[in-house]
Formats: sequence, C-alpha cells, structure tokens
Amino acid sequence: MSTVQRTIRFTLNGEAVAADVPTHWNVVELLQNRFGLFGARESCGQGLCGCCTVLVNGNAVSGCLYLAAFVHGAEVTTIEHGAAGRELDAVQQAFIEAGAFQCGFCTPGFVLMTRQLLDEKPDPTEDDIRHYLSGNLCRCAAYPEIVAAVKLAAQKRRAGQGR
Amino acid sequence: MTPFELLEPRTLREAAALLASGDATVRPFAGGTAVMLMMKMGVLRPTRLVSLRAVEKQYSGIGAGADGALRIGAMATLSALERSPVIRNEAPVIARTLRTLSNVRVRNVATVGGHLAHADPHMDLPPVLIALGASVTTVDAAGGRTIPLEKLYSGYLETSLGRGELIAEVSVPRQAPRRAAYLKCTTRSADDWPALGVAVVLDTLRETEGAAVREARIVISAATDTPTRLAKAEAVLRGARVDDAVLQRAGDAAASEASVIGDAHGSAAYKRELLRVYLARAVRAALAGEG
Amino acid sequence: MRAEEKRGAVGRSIPRLEGRAKVTGRAEYVHNLRLPGMLYGKIARSTIAHGRIKRIDVAAAQAVEGVHRVVTGADIRALIPDPHYGPAFHDQPILALDKVRYAGEPVAVVLASDPHVAEEAAGLVDVQYEALPAVYDEVEAMTSKAIVHEVLKPAGTFPDLKHFQGRKNTNVALDFRLRRGDAEAALKKADRVFEHTFRTQQVLHVPLEPFVSAAEPGDGTLTIHTASQSPSFVRTEIARLLEWPESKVRVKVPYLGGGFGAKLYIKLEALVAALALLVRRPVKISLTMEEQFYTLTKHAATLRIKSGVAKDGRVTARLCEVWWNGGAYADIGPRITQKSGFTAPGPYDIEHVHIDSYALYTNLPPAGALRGFGIPQLVWAYEGHTDMIARELKMDPVEFRRKNILRDGRPQATGTVMQDAAIDKVLERVAARMDWGKPFDRGSGTVRRGRGVVIGFKAVIAPTTSVAIVNLYADGSCALYCSTVDMGQGSDTAMAQIVAEILGIPIESITVVHPDTEVTPYDMATLGSRSTYHMGNAVRRAAEDARDKLLALAREVGVSVETTPIAEVFRRKYGMQAGNIIGSGSFIPTYMPMDHDTGQTANATPFWMVGATGAEVEVDTETGRVRVTRLVNVADVGTPINPAIVESQLSGAAIMQLGFTMSEKMEFSAGQCTNASLAQYKIPGLLDVPEGMENEAVDAEQKGGPFGAKGVGETGTFGVSPAIANAIDDAVGVRLTSLPLTAEAVYRALRAKQGNPLKD
Repeated sequence: MSTVQRTIRFTLNGEAVAADVPTHWNVVELLQNRFGLFGARESCGQGLCGCCTVLVNGNAVSGCLYLAAFVHGAEVTTIEHGAAGRELDAVQQAFIEAGAFQCGFCTPGFVLMTRQLLDEKPDPTEDDIRHYLSGNLCRCAAYPEIVAAVKLAAQKRRAGQGR
Repeated sequence: MTPFELLEPRTLREAAALLASGDATVRPFAGGTAVMLMMKMGVLRPTRLVSLRAVEKQYSGIGAGADGALRIGAMATLSALERSPVIRNEAPVIARTLRTLSNVRVRNVATVGGHLAHADPHMDLPPVLIALGASVTTVDAAGGRTIPLEKLYSGYLETSLGRGELIAEVSVPRQAPRRAAYLKCTTRSADDWPALGVAVVLDTLRETEGAAVREARIVISAATDTPTRLAKAEAVLRGARVDDAVLQRAGDAAASEASVIGDAHGSAAYKRELLRVYLARAVRAALAGEG
Repeated sequence: MRAEEKRGAVGRSIPRLEGRAKVTGRAEYVHNLRLPGMLYGKIARSTIAHGRIKRIDVAAAQAVEGVHRVVTGADIRALIPDPHYGPAFHDQPILALDKVRYAGEPVAVVLASDPHVAEEAAGLVDVQYEALPAVYDEVEAMTSKAIVHEVLKPAGTFPDLKHFQGRKNTNVALDFRLRRGDAEAALKKADRVFEHTFRTQQVLHVPLEPFVSAAEPGDGTLTIHTASQSPSFVRTEIARLLEWPESKVRVKVPYLGGGFGAKLYIKLEALVAALALLVRRPVKISLTMEEQFYTLTKHAATLRIKSGVAKDGRVTARLCEVWWNGGAYADIGPRITQKSGFTAPGPYDIEHVHIDSYALYTNLPPAGALRGFGIPQLVWAYEGHTDMIARELKMDPVEFRRKNILRDGRPQATGTVMQDAAIDKVLERVAARMDWGKPFDRGSGTVRRGRGVVIGFKAVIAPTTSVAIVNLYADGSCALYCSTVDMGQGSDTAMAQIVAEILGIPIESITVVHPDTEVTPYDMATLGSRSTYHMGNAVRRAAEDARDKLLALAREVGVSVETTPIAEVFRRKYGMQAGNIIGSGSFIPTYMPMDHDTGQTANATPFWMVGATGAEVEVDTETGRVRVTRLVNVADVGTPINPAIVESQLSGAAIMQLGFTMSEKMEFSAGQCTNASLAQYKIPGLLDVPEGMENEAVDAEQKGGPFGAKGVGETGTFGVSPAIANAIDDAVGVRLTSLPLTAEAVYRALRAKQGNPLKD
C-alpha cells in the first residue's frame, strides 16, 4: 500500500468496519464514498455550519475538517445510528413535534449536537442552548423552533421517553 | 486537497526531528482544524504531515504544580481545558473565555499548542494567557527552551519557533488573587471572528471604597497583527484607584499606543474607539469579578 | 366520505410528512446522488471582472494524472451552436465564449473520476485576457462607457416578459415606467416635499446545500438530476438548447437543502447536460460554498423617492426611481424591475405616482430572485422615507400610516383595485402587539432603546400555470403528482392536506411524488410565494376531479361512499384490489398586461401579500452596537392551511432578512468578491436571533385561494430592515440609509450628529 493510502479499522455505528482511504480524505468523504452514509454532509467546508457533524469517541467533530485516517481505532457515530426500523429518540421526536427544521440539510448536525448538550446538561437553560448550538447554522432559520425542540427533548428525556 | 504522506510518530522528540529537515512542505498537525482549512483553500500543499496525535500522553495532561501554576500539555484539547476542574478553580477567566471560543466541535478537536502556535491574532487564548503571565516550553533536537508566551509572536501568523521546534507545554501562573477578564467584540454575527479582544489581569488592594490597582497586565488581540501588551495603559492603571477619569486616560493611552489595523470587521479608527470602550469595560468586569 | 375519516386536514398544524427522513439524515438530496461511471466536474473561473479571452491553455490541466477531459466554451459551441440561456434574455453562455463579464464566471471545466484531481487540474487552466473597462455601480452603469453586453437578446419564453426590448450599446436591460396622474405637477402644489435616497447591498442566498446538478445521457435521451426550484423550466430550456423534443429531456428533483430563489431557471443544468453529452458519461457538479458567491446574488439597489405631502399629512404625490444592480447576466432581474417595481410607492393611497425602474448590467456576479423578489429593497426605501416624513411633520408614524394606507376597493398605482389585502388590519395588529399607544422604556446611560413599525406589500407574479394529478389507488391510498419543489417550505405537507381534506382520507395514506418531468405535470416554478395559491388550486381541482370520479364509480356499482370504504368501491367495480382513479386539475389566474407607457392595468395580480414588522432595539451609544430585542411579524396570508408551518415561514423569513439587515454584505475589490466564505460573510446564528420573536397571521381570507389561503414564503422579509432602522432613529436620533446597519455605521452617525465626526 502506498504511503498516501492506508487501511483503517474502526467502529461505525456500533459495527466493526475497515476501509481503504487516501490520507487526504476527510470523514465526510469516508462515510459517503465507502459506506453510503449521507447524513453528514459538507456545506460551508470550514467547520462553521455543523452540517457535517459526527461523533468520534463520543465527541462531536466537524467531519469536513477531520482526516479519515484519524478515525482508525475510534468509535464513530453518525445520525444514521439506529435509524433503520427503530423508534426515534427523544431528540428526533422533539424536532418533529416542534417543527424544528425546514429544508433538513442542517438537521442531522443539530440533532447530534442536541444529544451531546443534553448528555452534558440534562436541563439546559435557554442561554446554554443558544451557546452550545451557536456553531450550527440553519439558513431556513428554524432557530426558535430548534430552541423549543431542545427544551421539549430535555423534558422527554427526564420523563423517560426515549434515550 | 492533494495527497500527502501522513506520519504518526510516538514521541514529541521524534516528531520534532521529522520536522527539522527544513522542508517547508513538511508540516506538523495537532488537532488540525487550521491546517485542514489551509489545505482545503489550497494555500498549504504539504507533501508530508507529521501528526502529533500519537505522542506521549503526558503532553495532553492538565494539572497544577506545587506553586499553584497550571501545567497544560500542548496536546490538551480546548474542550478538555474548558471542562477541567483545575482550570475552573485556578484560572476561571480561561474557562469563561473558552465558552465563546469558536464552537463546540472545534474545541473538541483543536489543541492548546496548535491554538497558540497558529499565531492568528484573532485567537482568544493568547491575550488571556499572556495577561496571566504564561510561558511555553518547547521541544526540539537541541532539547528545548522556555519562553514567555508574549515573546512567541513575531508577526501575523508568525512565531519565533524554529523549524523542528514544537510547543510541549504551557505554564500559567494561577489567577488568584488577581482579578481577570477577557472581553471580545464581534461586529457582524455573534459567532464572527472578533474585531477586538481585550484581556485584563489586575492585582488589586481590596479596600472599602473601590479598588486600587497594584499591578495591571493588559493584552489586546484581533485589532493588531499580534497579541499586544499595552504598557502605557498598564502604567496609567498601576497604583491608581479606578474611576471614570482613570479609565478614560487608560483608554486614551491604549488607543495611542496600539498599532490598530482596519479590516472587514471595522476601520482602524473605529477599532480604536472600541478599544477605549472595551478596555474600560474589561477593567470594570475584572474588578466586579465577572471575568 | 365516511364520517370517521372526515378529520378536516386543512387548517391543522400537521407535522411535516418528511420529518422522519430529515431527522434521521435519510432525506434524499441530489447531493447524495452517485451514478455508475460518473465524472466530477470542477470549474475554472475568470479572475478578472471584464475582458476578452485571448487564449485558454488547458495543457497543464489535461496532463494531470486522472483527468478525463478539459472542456472550454469552444467545445460547448461545437455541440450547441448558440449556447446562451436565461429566463428574460438569452445572454448567459454555458461557459464563457469570447469574453468574461464578471470575476468568478465559469471559463472551463475539468472532468475526472476523483473530484480532488479535477479540482487540482482546474487550478492549472491558464487563461489570458485582454482587460476591458468595467462598471460596478448601478447608477454609473446608466451612463458608463463600459458596456457589459454589446447585443441584447430577449428570450420571449414567459408571456409577461415577452415585450422586453433590449437596446444596443447600453447597460439598461429593462426600463419600466408607470405614470398615474401627474406627479410632477402635484409635487409643485404640495405643502411639503421630501426627498431621500436609499441604498441596499449585494447579498447572497446561502442555501446550506450548495448548487448541485448531475446529467445522465441515455439513448437519445438525457436525465438531469438537479437541486432546482424550476424543473419544468429546466426541461424547456435544455430541450431548446439541444433542439430536442421536451419528451427526451427528463428532469428530476428530490428535496432541496434550501433554495430561497437561488436555484431557479438554469444554473448548472445546461453545463452538466452539455458535458454529459460531450463525454457520453454521467457528469456531476457540486459547487463549494465559495462558488455560490459566483453564481447568483440578490440585487444591490439605489432608490430615490420623493413625496408631496399636504398639511393634514396626506401624501398627494410620489416619484420613485429605482436602479437595480443586475450584475453580468440578467437572470430574472427584468421581472423584478417590473413586477416589484410597480409597488415602489408602498401600500399607500396616492393619487399621483410616477415610477421609473431600471434593470442594469454591471460586471458583478449576476443577481436574481431572493426571497421577496425586490420587495425588501423597495420597502427599505419607502418605509424609511415614511418615518422620516412623519418625524419631520411631528406626526406619530403609525398615525401617519393610518392616514395614508391603501384600503380594499381603492386603486393601487397600477390602477388595479385592491381586494383581499388586509393592510389596515395588519398595521393595527402590529401596532397593538407593540403596545404602540403605551409608554415605552427608552433606556438610560449608554444603552438607549427605540422602536419602529413598518408595513410592506407584494403582488404575486402573473400569469403562471400549475398542473396537478391525483392518483387514487384501489386500496384507498393515493399519490399526488406535482412539480412544486419542497425546499423546506413544507409544500408537500400543505398539498397533501388539501388532498386529504377533499378526499376525506388520512394524510398518512398520501404520497407526494417529487418533481420528475416524465411523471409529474407542468408547474411554472416554486417561487415568489405562488405555490400555495396556484398549485394549491390545481391540487384542489385534481382532488375534486378524483372525488367526482369516485362518486360516479360508487353510483355505478350501487354504493354510497358515505358508508362504503374506498377500497370496497374499487372491489365492486374490478372484482379485486385493482384499477385507479386519476383526477387532474390545472390553474392559471386571470391577468391583464400593463400598458407599456403608463404601467396601468385593471388586473395586475391574482393576490396581494401584506406584511408588517415591529422592532425594538437597544443601541450602545459608546460603540454603536445594536441589539434587536424584539421582532414582531404580522402578515395577511389568507387562511393558513397549516398554521405552524405558516408561522415558521414568517419567522424564518424575518431572521433571514435580519442577516441582510445587520451583517451580510458581499465585499468586492475590482469586481472580485473578497469575502466568499461563511467565515467572512456572516449569516445569523442562534445567538443573533432576537429573544422576542413573535409572529401572527391575521384573521383573513383570500377569495379564490384554496380554502382561503395564499402564499407566505416571502412576507416575513418585507419590513425587517426599515423597522430596525426606524427603531434606531427612535432610540438615538440617527438615520441610516444604507444597509447593512453595522455598529460602525451607527457609531459614525452618532459622532456626526454630535458634530465630532470620526476621523480615519
């Protein structure tokens, strides 16, 4: 194998996987080109919009700025985790009920970031929500609905509905 | 982006050796948030990246020494710093600064060493750490050295680090009993790069009516090419009891001594006015314990 | 219909049908599309604003390992002899031919299987230019010696644009004039005359899914997968360029990751079509965020407005002059110049009105439709002007508006009599929500507070056509075929609600088939807030047609649909679960073209949209920083089909316009955009959203609209900018007449007011 190509092994949405990748690929390219996962998508290309959000070892990162080679040995979670045929979690359910999206392009990033926020702070204030999600952009500007959805999701989690 | 060779040395010293060749197309890569942006824009086209991710774990540590000084490994992520109880207790101004530094995902990946070595004057931590009196310890083929952080910066995106010289650790004197604040001003959206950052660290005598300043360190960023200490403004505050007149004089001194640069965030003239206002507000915030 | 199935779908806030797909990341976008053997195209762009192409050297690019082919304008011309497109003028080449007209214009494309390779090689395309003088300012363009287009070629595609007459050796693509009464004479007689000039800046749509299109050649056919708001137009235009029958061009559109007017007409579609035919392989081009800045923008404009006012505060005459900066290609700018231009005097009852509205070519990236279609620029001028007059007259700004607003039954500037435009109600509701008559906390020290109220209106574009098909299946479920594009506005859900209401079936049993020109019928486009009314009516008719056929079938088999499930009706007829009922409907409203010289018509539009905004601000007098603390949006949207989605549209539009008001601006140096990234071009994030966001759809009904509804997508944008500027004036007594309202602009105005201007 050439020096600009390598084989990586990692856990993707709970499953052990391997892939050959060029060193200059980012995680979005890895997910799209090798695994057909399109929920993380490159938009601004600068880590500012959050459309490419994925979790690496439980931490949210911008997939467009994260080299694919570096997920070797890591646990990668995407929006598609558990989506097929299973119940939606409290955050996803809250986003639907609160109408917290329009075009949907940024939505996976907001959902993943909201899960992170609620894991860290189960009962966030409005200020916590605004700061934590300030690095995700929604051009349709469903922002008031998103804040409402985060609060609703927190309630649902506390009430034991969903993860 | 174009293909490159990716190396992952196990020790910092080995990494420094790989970078010492003098080949400008060989670059270090820590969290990589800035390097990735430069590669995507095509302004950086490395043949070889030397990743620091696999170096010794000690360089990711955060702790306090016997003297209370904080020791922060260069590979510690900004979010590790943000969440660290040691930081929150010993240097709360750092924890507060991190809350509005870029965004959660960047903080999860970007490292303290990369943040400092990138030398982009819009970064938030350099003015805060310089104001606190931080120094950095480096590693290179010859061993390494310790330099005050304010001596690290030599120009826009330029440092005094030699080729093959890497930041290993940052040492920060504990904040208490000094009072500190960092204020930044964004002029477009809230998540914009700042037009101005002002860090203030004050050593004060607490008295019944108001506070007298024994020692002041004032560092500004974003409006200047490099994080800049404002000696004249510090001199105005030194020994003074803070009131409107003193703050006005400090602001005037700051506006006259800083080499403020105009850009898309505001003209130089406007940023000088911001400097007067934010300097006073930062001093008041520090005294009020809001920093 | 059976009683238990009659749930009344219309008027309920039903969650969006595609919610699950969107929150699980599985919604379909062109972005996701991969085709076997597909090549990626990367565009090499002009580095200068205006110049003749002397030579294009592609050798270095072609030599990069992995490059399949490098294509230039000459290659395109070999395939398509006249490769120019555009909805108003056929002025835009698929790739630059003899000259370039803006920095960022596509000059060549590199095709490769690996997009990184294509990008690398695109940077190696070497183009030599002979620079020509350039013009950037819309007012200078009126008289500039720099001519962007030597010859103008009207397209003649749309009936409302057919009369466009280009001129030679001018940058004026269109001059629209309206004359009602004698404004010049009335101004002479007026007690007071006021004149102000306003500017707006060039801004960008920034859909988070950047432009993306793919083309797939077949055997004498071509399939285009594209993130487009106008699939029907794409098919017509590509068929015209190729001289093929429309039946050989298929255009498919899944969900869009935002559109806002950017993804209309032809953007990348002609380019991928030509490339795919040249190389006989599928070709996909996905633009980067940066490249969106070189594709389509919103018009910067200069607006001069002059009013004569009587002693009692009645506006008696108004002159409006508007210069629209269209950039290098007309796109749909001429329609903005006319269709929005005729509302330039505002929603006021003024006897004497003259309007001159000019579409100008300049050497900047092209401008087109952006959520509001020129209206926010016009409202920025006339509502600033209105407040400035009220202030001078020492009249309450709401009272001054009350005295002058256009009421139903009165003629608008075109002579069209207003109907179903709740201008008075919308004004009263925004004033009530703002507690306008009550004392207001004006702040103290370095933080001063102020408030402003404005009102704006828009006429929907006419005449346009929508067609829909409802296919009722034998089990009682159904599919709706329509070419309305759901780009986030919730049209799939609203249209399904109409079908569910009429057929009395559960909304979950309805599938909305996404635009596919081989399957779904014609629709003019998803633009200008036209879909709810036009497509809504077509869908209503299609559903009614299906219902009538179902009733006839039930009669034929001797049952009543009140008591018999739909599936049973089919079984009785076909002996098993088989067959279909196809209902179809089409809709085109009436319209009367404007008189060319006076702009007068008895029927300018099928409906009016009315929106008012109230803003409260805090101004930091030491820095000029403005914090919008409250933003109230009130609108006449007729009777909402889905109230929650309507509210979301109002709110989202207002926040988008908040960005255009406070922070967004494309910066240029010698015609080159210098802030083409989201790091440097700042759109609103969560921390920029006012804490007090309120939205209200007033109680109203649009006659002729489906269930009394009309469009809403743009209404929230109308008044945001002037409401904030008026509030700043109210707070600190300075008036800004250019956007955006930056802290520095406010600060400089404050210093100037103190007689101590900031020196650079």
